[in-house]
Amino acid sequence: MSEGQTVASTKEECWVPNILAFACNWCSYAGADLAGVSRLQYPPTVKILRVMCSSRVEPAFILKALKDGADGVLIAGCHIGDCHYIDGNKNAEVRINNTKKALEKLGLDKRLRLEWISASEGLKFSEVIKEFTEEISKLGQNPVKEKIEPQINADERRSSASVNKSAANVQGSEVK
Amino acid sequence: MSNVQSCYQCGKCTSICPMRRVSKTSPRSSIYNANVYGLETNDIWTCLTCGRCPIECPQQVDFLNFIKEERQGKTPLHVAHLGVFTEFSELSSKLDGKTPERSDSKYGYFPGCVDSLDLFLHDVKTNFGEITTSSLKLLDKLGIKPQIMNMKCCGHDVLWQGKKDVFEDLKKYNLNYIKESGIDTLVTSCAECYRTFSKDYGLGIKVVHISELLDKLGLNVNDAVTYHDPCRLGRHMGVYEAPRNALTANGVVVKEMEHSKEEALCCGVSNFMNCNEQTKALRIARMDEAEATGAKTLITTCSKCLAHFNCLKTEKDSVKKYDFDVVDLTVYLARKMEQT
Repeated sequence: MSEGQTVASTKEECWVPNILAFACNWCSYAGADLAGVSRLQYPPTVKILRVMCSSRVEPAFILKALKDGADGVLIAGCHIGDCHYIDGNKNAEVRINNTKKALEKLGLDKRLRLEWISASEGLKFSEVIKEFTEEISKLGQNPVKEKIEPQINADERRSSASVNKSAANVQGSEVK
Repeated sequence: MSNVQSCYQCGKCTSICPMRRVSKTSPRSSIYNANVYGLETNDIWTCLTCGRCPIECPQQVDFLNFIKEERQGKTPLHVAHLGVFTEFSELSSKLDGKTPERSDSKYGYFPGCVDSLDLFLHDVKTNFGEITTSSLKLLDKLGIKPQIMNMKCCGHDVLWQGKKDVFEDLKKYNLNYIKESGIDTLVTSCAECYRTFSKDYGLGIKVVHISELLDKLGLNVNDAVTYHDPCRLGRHMGVYEAPRNALTANGVVVKEMEHSKEEALCCGVSNFMNCNEQTKALRIARMDEAEATGAKTLITTCSKCLAHFNCLKTEKDSVKKYDFDVVDLTVYLARKMEQT
């Protein structure tokens, strides 16, 4: 994020969103790669986890991520009709929408997002991350965080934020 | 503490254990290993906690409490659906819940986890939400206008999966919610919620399973059904007659299965653990008994039993097709009420 956030001293200001992205191997992960090799800029708030298909993502994974303090969860797969496994993404859509409904009861539904990103849409990938980061920044921290890490001080947060930044820079220039 | 020290290893429990029919599970040796050697065995996780063995035990060993205590703080084996229901309860235990909307009604109705069941078990093709709407219709007919208790999960599954800390969080919130709502009777339509609120909470108010109210409905249904005793309502809480009365008082003939009441077979999965080939055999055994009665409907009073039976029924490549319906008691009566 911007420099102001890493230098700030108070707890709230130095917080950067921590987003977990499940990207499908065939489209969205390649899309993220393209965003990297095209040197497109996007915030270092996202940690990408490669899965073979978006329908590999069980509701339990999403709930566990949120329970353990992720501020947002993004699931990215191939466009409908383009799935490598024919109709995996259709199943994913049903599942993720159901999970969203369940999260609505807890008031966390805005922290879950499903996107279709193809291998050629590096730009879309970077834009989705930008948008989602902004959205999560507006929502603020995941409310469960107060219970799981009340003792982490601002310094530790700051250092972990800068590590995230450098990690994302490395990933951005990575070529496979 | 459970009185497990008084076990004299006669093995009667193992001989009647439903899991023993299909696996090497042994309640006797799990007591022996835990008591004599302090060993942790897989047997404490394959136990269905169906409550069949304490009934036959000559020493009245409280096996259920033994299992519950033995499991605390350990990692559960074989949690079904990757523990999505556990994760949901844990997530909700860490968030601030809703506050009660106070009303004058002295009755509170708790729907349980029907919403989560609907959303996470969408391939079972069962409308779990109908249990709630039906219960409210039936209560309305009885002249009861309850408050809807918008609480968190009762914590049954996390407690039996050995996560007492999560259970305590949920319990603390729910107790406070119930106290603030000012009700004096809590009605549930789920056998597991009923057990948990009655035995594990220490509420101090009356907890009723909805089947205990339904005998005054005054319907005249001409039908024959068979009834499956859920372990939580039957053997855990000793409620055998209320659901049967609710059916017979409304003109329904109950055809008993080969094993019923205290000897009722288990649906095979409790607290979303041990859903595998072995327990599937138990489910098939129970469904076969239901089929043998010739009734066209199998009634149960637990939303989990309903899910597990319907899961077997709607299975794509199942060996056997069952041509009877499995429905909840409230859903059955509400449907019949609307037909007349």
